[in-house]
Amino acid sequence: EVTLRSSDTHPDGYPTVAAVNHMGDLLEERTDGRLCIEVSHSAQLGQEKDTIEQTQFGVIDMNRVSLGPFNNIIEETQIPSLPYIFRSVEHMHKVMDGPVGDQILEAFSDHDLVGLAFFDGGSRSFYNSQKPINSIEDLAGLKFRVMQSDMFVDMVSALGANATPMPYGEVYSSIQTGVIDGAENNWPSYDSSGHFEVAQYYTLDQHLIVPEVLVMAKSSFDKLSAEDQEIVRQAARDSVPVMRELWAAREAESEARVRAAGVEIVTDIDKTPFIEAMVPVYEKYVTSPVLQQMVADIQATE
Amino acid sequence: MELYVLFGTFVFLLLIGTPVAFCLGVSSFATVAYLGLPPVVVFQRLNSGVSVFALMAIPFFIYAGDLMVRGDIARRLVALAGAFVGHLRGGLGQVNILASVMFGGVSGSAAADASAVGGLMVPQMKERGYGVDYAVNITVVSSIIALMLPPSHNMIIYSISAGGRISIADLFTAGIIPGFLLAMSLMTAAWFVAKKRGYPTEKFPGLAMMGTLFVSAAPGLILVAIIFGGVRSGIFTASESSNIAVVYALLITFFVYRSLSWHDFVEATFAAVRTTAMVLLVIGCAASFGWLLAYLKVPAAMVEMLQGVSDNPIVILLLLNVVLLILGTFMDMSPLIVITTPIFLPVATAFGVDPVHFGVILILNLGIGLCTPPVGAVLFVGCAVGRIPIFDAVKSIWPFYGAAFGTLMLVTYIPALSLWLPSLFH
Amino acid sequence: MMKIAVLTGLIGRAALWTAGTGLVLMTVLIAAQVFWRYVLNDSISWTEPASVMIMGWFIFLGAAVGIREGYHLSFDVLLYVIPHKGKMFLYSLSDLVVTCFGIGMIWFGWQLAEKTAGNTLPSLGISGAFDFIPIVAGGVLVALFSVERIARRAAGLPTARFGDDNSEAT
Ligand code: NA
Ligand code: NA
Repeated sequence: EVTLRSSDTHPDGYPTVAAVNHMGDLLEERTDGRLCIEVSHSAQLGQEKDTIEQTQFGVIDMNRVSLGPFNNIIEETQIPSLPYIFRSVEHMHKVMDGPVGDQILEAFSDHDLVGLAFFDGGSRSFYNSQKPINSIEDLAGLKFRVMQSDMFVDMVSALGANATPMPYGEVYSSIQTGVIDGAENNWPSYDSSGHFEVAQYYTLDQHLIVPEVLVMAKSSFDKLSAEDQEIVRQAARDSVPVMRELWAAREAESEARVRAAGVEIVTDIDKTPFIEAMVPVYEKYVTSPVLQQMVADIQATE
Repeated sequence: MELYVLFGTFVFLLLIGTPVAFCLGVSSFATVAYLGLPPVVVFQRLNSGVSVFALMAIPFFIYAGDLMVRGDIARRLVALAGAFVGHLRGGLGQVNILASVMFGGVSGSAAADASAVGGLMVPQMKERGYGVDYAVNITVVSSIIALMLPPSHNMIIYSISAGGRISIADLFTAGIIPGFLLAMSLMTAAWFVAKKRGYPTEKFPGLAMMGTLFVSAAPGLILVAIIFGGVRSGIFTASESSNIAVVYALLITFFVYRSLSWHDFVEATFAAVRTTAMVLLVIGCAASFGWLLAYLKVPAAMVEMLQGVSDNPIVILLLLNVVLLILGTFMDMSPLIVITTPIFLPVATAFGVDPVHFGVILILNLGIGLCTPPVGAVLFVGCAVGRIPIFDAVKSIWPFYGAAFGTLMLVTYIPALSLWLPSLFH
Repeated sequence: MMKIAVLTGLIGRAALWTAGTGLVLMTVLIAAQVFWRYVLNDSISWTEPASVMIMGWFIFLGAAVGIREGYHLSFDVLLYVIPHKGKMFLYSLSDLVVTCFGIGMIWFGWQLAEKTAGNTLPSLGISGAFDFIPIVAGGVLVALFSVERIARRAAGLPTARFGDDNSEAT
């Protein structure tokens, strides 16, 4: 009887936590209780960078993390983090469920990890306190908070705006005091952070649709019988539709709450100039032939 | 069994005199080995426990405090306090307390307050015929005020121990009313004791003199506004504003007061290195210890156990306060914050206590622990400054403990004392 | 023994100066960051991770020096009631345990550095191994100064007591 310890930075009840718990139920059912999962949520075991190292060393068995912290470790993970790489959430689902997704999951095995499945992380769009953004020209000169990552800083600069990396907790008051004009995030975070109270213009440009990943420690995976390994892989795959459903429900809930607060939302926007502005960013980050092929494959996916 | 290994090793090492940081690190190591987990996790937690940008406010605020003590800022604040309250009953005792309010507005260290304000006030009080025990008692207990008023690096330690999700600006704001309340309770206690013992009062120096002293102390007071205003408005992070405090203190003491020599500067830097390396190593090792607590699900078990004891928040809060006071008599503040926050905060929130409110209770409670024997860093400093044995100081300290404990009870059971002021900023 | 004590004294002094320089450097870097952000309206992205790394150096070096100078927080009430010989034994046991922890810092810090050597640190562009060099360096000094304490005690030389304000060691 083995209990797999999994880490998540999100709180209990969050879609990713619920999905891993669901996977645990499936495992228990399919192995007659030989395997189960215990999720340590709310970053109890550390932030993502730390828990990744813990998984690599086999201190914990499983980990639900964003792709961001992997970008400097596994180059393939940079591709889904590229701005405007996916045309829509459906496009992202198709790609990650297909051969490109498998190729990325495979890349984890060189780093003492086993990639199990991709979860949704929502689509991020810009919001600000100044004016509705209807075109790329409207972005000129605005100051946006971004996550601490060179690529996101370059993305914002390429769009003609100014990027200010700062901790998430400082964003609300910084918008309020005018230190920055806005930030970018998905519906649930825009809602739960209360940023919509101070930044009333939200433009759904969906510049980042970055999936998240569920990985397992290679040492823990190798301890299982071949049969159990397949059961684990299948249970992870089966948790994905559940996760997507939960995520969509949460997104709809947040959207309804924010809309009720009277925020001005720009939905139909021509993304072409935004995508064209990304050429230098892609040139800088998509360097190897492998990565270039991946980008081409994604763009060819209908 | 894992818990016996963890706590057993910790207590054993503590008793044989191993530094607290290593007690935490080694007991975590022993437990990880017992569980058969890769020991590398202990050192990974230690390393990432100290690699947090928000922690940087701690060395900076401590550094700024060391520079101000050596650079004459503290002395000028004490002189100004003298003009305000010297003429009240218990004159210099009142001055000592008000000086702690002013110094507490620029420093967050109770030990620095006791040595800076006490170092200036105790000799004066002796000379004017006050009992040394009275002078030391007031010096010691009033230094808790520095912990409550912003800046308070202990509140930053609390926020980080709670996972970094509690607003430092809110914690800083929440401590202000309790800090002033503590000052007023202590002034009342000082008044009664002074009356009973027949202590003198000082002459009111006149408004002109007050003005002069105010101008002389103004740079120190401006620092209060910079630190609090910067953090509260969200313009600066706590780390940035603590950095501004260091730069400001350097500029004032080097160029305006011209009171800081190169030698003072080097000594202040080394003093800050010693204090912060010691505090931050404890925080790092406690990150390993805390990781094990989470891994072994101790906080959840603690919540469940206390829910079995009582479902009344009043009883639970009293229980938590008593446990913290007892722990505080034996251990220092920063290790206790980092060890107890992950265990007790979930309990408090499970009973509906706001995390910001609990932070204020915790800091005030452990602040009292700094003044109680057998292990009370500030008590030791106060006794060293007054050159009296600890026993002599503690014999007559009861009215002041009483005032501090009364304040603690008010702060515990009237959440608005802590939460009303921050709510104005939301 | 005295010769060795002079040498470790020099090492301790050098570590303290390095740590002090680190604190000043951190002050300068963050001051520059504040100046750039609020006065020049521009942001430098490397000052924050660089300062955090310097903080690691100054904590681990400063903490190691604390073992030599005896400025760590501790609690040794039990030792007041124990006869001198037993006390010396327990002190040495404690120093031995700390030595082992120092060796752990070196050994496991090195493992972490090896594992992360292939990663690149965001904003700094250097190898992830640099994150763990301070803990390894600190571990070397922690082990060295703890062994020195045991040796000094065996040789009958004065040893700094933890929790004392004025250390006996020079
Ligand atoms: Na303070
Ligand atoms: Na005082």
